[in-house]
Amino acid sequence: METLRDALDFSDFSRAERVALVLFSLLLLLFPWLGTGSFVKTVVIQFLLFSLFGMGWNTIGGYGGQVELGKAQYVGIGAYTVALMMVWWKIPFWISMPIGVLIALGYSFIIGYPLFRLKGHYFAIATICTSLVLQDIFINWKLVGAAKGIELPIHEHPDFLYMQFKSDTYYFYFIMALFYAGLVYMNWFRKSKLGYQLRMIKDDEEAAQSLGIDARWCKIKAYSIASAFVAVGGGFLAVYNLYIDPYSVMDLDLSIKIALMAMLGGAASMWGPIIGAAFLVPLDRFLGSWLGGQRGLIGVDFMIYSALIMIVSAYQPRGIWGIVEQFRRRDR
Amino acid sequence: MIILDAILQGILMGLLFALVALGLTIIFGVMDIVNFAHGEFLMIGMFTAYWTSLLLHIDPLITLPASAVVGMLLGLASYYWLVKYLLRGPMIAQLFGTFGLMLFLRYLAQFLFGTDYRIVQKGLLVGKSLSLGPFILDWTKLSAAILSLLAFLLVYYLLHRTKLGKALRATALNKEAAGYMGIRTDRMNALAWMIGGGTVGIAGGLLVNFWYVYPTIGLLFVMIAFASVALGGFGSIKGAFFAGVLIGMIEMLFPVFGHLIGWDFLGPHFKFTVVYFAYFVIVVLRPQGLFGWKH
Amino acid sequence: MIDLIKDFGGVIANNHISFEIDQGEIIGLIGPNGAGKTTLFNCVVGYHKPDSGKVIFKGKEITGLKPFMTNREGIGRTFQIMKVTAGMTVLENVMVGAFCRTEHRAVAVREAMEILNFLGLEELKGFHLNELPIASQKKVGLARALATKPELLMLDEVASGLNPKETEDMVALLKRIHQEKKITLFLIEHVMEVVMPISQRVIVLDSGEKIAEGLPKEIVKNERVIKAYLGEKYAKGF
Repeated sequence: METLRDALDFSDFSRAERVALVLFSLLLLLFPWLGTGSFVKTVVIQFLLFSLFGMGWNTIGGYGGQVELGKAQYVGIGAYTVALMMVWWKIPFWISMPIGVLIALGYSFIIGYPLFRLKGHYFAIATICTSLVLQDIFINWKLVGAAKGIELPIHEHPDFLYMQFKSDTYYFYFIMALFYAGLVYMNWFRKSKLGYQLRMIKDDEEAAQSLGIDARWCKIKAYSIASAFVAVGGGFLAVYNLYIDPYSVMDLDLSIKIALMAMLGGAASMWGPIIGAAFLVPLDRFLGSWLGGQRGLIGVDFMIYSALIMIVSAYQPRGIWGIVEQFRRRDR
Repeated sequence: MIILDAILQGILMGLLFALVALGLTIIFGVMDIVNFAHGEFLMIGMFTAYWTSLLLHIDPLITLPASAVVGMLLGLASYYWLVKYLLRGPMIAQLFGTFGLMLFLRYLAQFLFGTDYRIVQKGLLVGKSLSLGPFILDWTKLSAAILSLLAFLLVYYLLHRTKLGKALRATALNKEAAGYMGIRTDRMNALAWMIGGGTVGIAGGLLVNFWYVYPTIGLLFVMIAFASVALGGFGSIKGAFFAGVLIGMIEMLFPVFGHLIGWDFLGPHFKFTVVYFAYFVIVVLRPQGLFGWKH
Repeated sequence: MIDLIKDFGGVIANNHISFEIDQGEIIGLIGPNGAGKTTLFNCVVGYHKPDSGKVIFKGKEITGLKPFMTNREGIGRTFQIMKVTAGMTVLENVMVGAFCRTEHRAVAVREAMEILNFLGLEELKGFHLNELPIASQKKVGLARALATKPELLMLDEVASGLNPKETEDMVALLKRIHQEKKITLFLIEHVMEVVMPISQRVIVLDSGEKIAEGLPKEIVKNERVIKAYLGEKYAKGF
């Protein structure tokens, strides 16, 4: 099938990129046996998870050029669906996750339809609004645990039906598999008709319209894809942490982090979100653990984060990958 | 009766909201940038008033000039050290830039002041109320409303009767043309940020008399400001005024309404969710707001 | 048979303008600045909705259809000023046009390359728009629109910004497009060196009204046309 072939075909990347990808993958595969501590393992798992989030965001935010800051609501939808289905009806992960994705897709279409009448700043603010509204509803909704959140019951390990494991290694390979699934999907996406059309919309929406592209509908489609991606990650979070609440999975800060990582790494590129996550996740965790331990320094990690955001915005909006591309073009 | 009381309270709060929205709409009108950090400017205005009155043992109302000055400086600094550079880049960078500023100020405040909630407790008007027929109005809120109105009128006068103000409006309408007339865009931008920061600083100084200040309070108020600006029309000053008051009323009426129809679960907490929702609805259904000036 | 009957009224810039275009023709639309040419163009393409009147294309009414719909019906257009960004390469740009008619990337690539070859742009396929001179940018705009396989191609001041040699090139190119691809052309132009040699019919607008229609050689002698462009004095003959 052409789709599968396209998805697995990385040949239009440079040699250097392909080699790097292979090395990186090997490293990941062998990682659990490299004898690093559990802290590093959690960081790597977080890195893979945020890469997944970032790739999803990239679909609409990077390639589509629509900066949206409300991804967290879909993380929440994914996480809550898995959690609630397990707690209420003992439904295994492999069924609740796809349902979570479907709900996310449905919700994104409903919201997306009015949302994409907006552009630019108005759009960005509106995405924040929708996320805040959902979070507020969940905080006050007793049925889903309100602010206390949901605790998932612990099963005998290892449990492949409900995806619960004692050792992080299982989770590691799980998120790695999801990561590669996402990567392959993105590879297909950027070569697909929708991918091309979306990039055209970003470049010049008026011209795109003149080429038979229904811009609004394309954006909605991309937005929904992004939401599905992110919901998958949310489902993972639920079974990994075994505890979720509206503050940890639906927060505005989460949305910002996701968008920021993709932007820092270089939006609108395959590797951008991954690079961004590779930078920021360790930074976030190490800063957090180093500074957080010292009481007087709450929030310094975020300060550094935000200073970074400002600097990048002011001087290199195209992110790290943007710098790489600039060098490449100069050589031509 | 409850309804009338809610409306009255709404108008009082609304006047304050209007002042907050004013700065945001001016900045947007002049250079098409949404200042995400606007709520943080408010928060800093609040802290300024709080600490000044506490440490210098003076009445909080007298500290208003301090809040105003701090606000203006903050606006200027933000412009010259950040926004000026953001203007050269794509919109996504501008968005993230002011967003970063927002986070930075928020966590800086958290770092400096901790996460405790604080409120002004000693002052001439604190705790006193005025009885107007069947209504009881807190003097703090009333004075805040009156002073907000005055500040608003002052800015309006500035913009419409002084040469500087007219230059600012000219830049907002068409910066190129204004440039040809000898008005320096750069200076006007800085002025916009100064006024924006100053007005919201004053608003903060007024607010802290009856509202708790804590480092993360910015988000709530910036969203209210967004809703006001959207409703009033991005860039419209009249719009900011009427929309601010309207939102104040909606916000007060909402729990009353909920109670009346038995929807008590739409508790007091939800009144802000309503505002977020309102923004969305307004912007989708009537993007130009009430007085649609830009877009 | 393509008929385009337009009868606008009330649109501020176009006042009861009506004309037909037959399939396979080359029509030029000229007129002084502010005559309403762009508004007319936009109404056909779908960017504006006319306040009254109809646009009929191939027997189907398309009044008020959005631009992406008119494109799918078979009307392509170029832009006078193209947004020149560093986002997509020339090939990718044309591929987007090709994707209008296919779902498959391989097909899109093939069609795009074919168009690029036709226009002599194949060497530029890997460049970004901001790296190209204006003449090439315009050609890419043409290529893009052509990739959507239009039956009617509307060109918005395609010759603006070109030097005489490039203008000559463009004229030859347009002729080839017309003959080999069998596409009806509708040009808005200010550059007479382009409009007059290739148009089979010319329509002239002034201040929102249609003031003349006919063969190029008749138009240049038309008193109202001369008056519109050069003023009363010259219309009386000099």
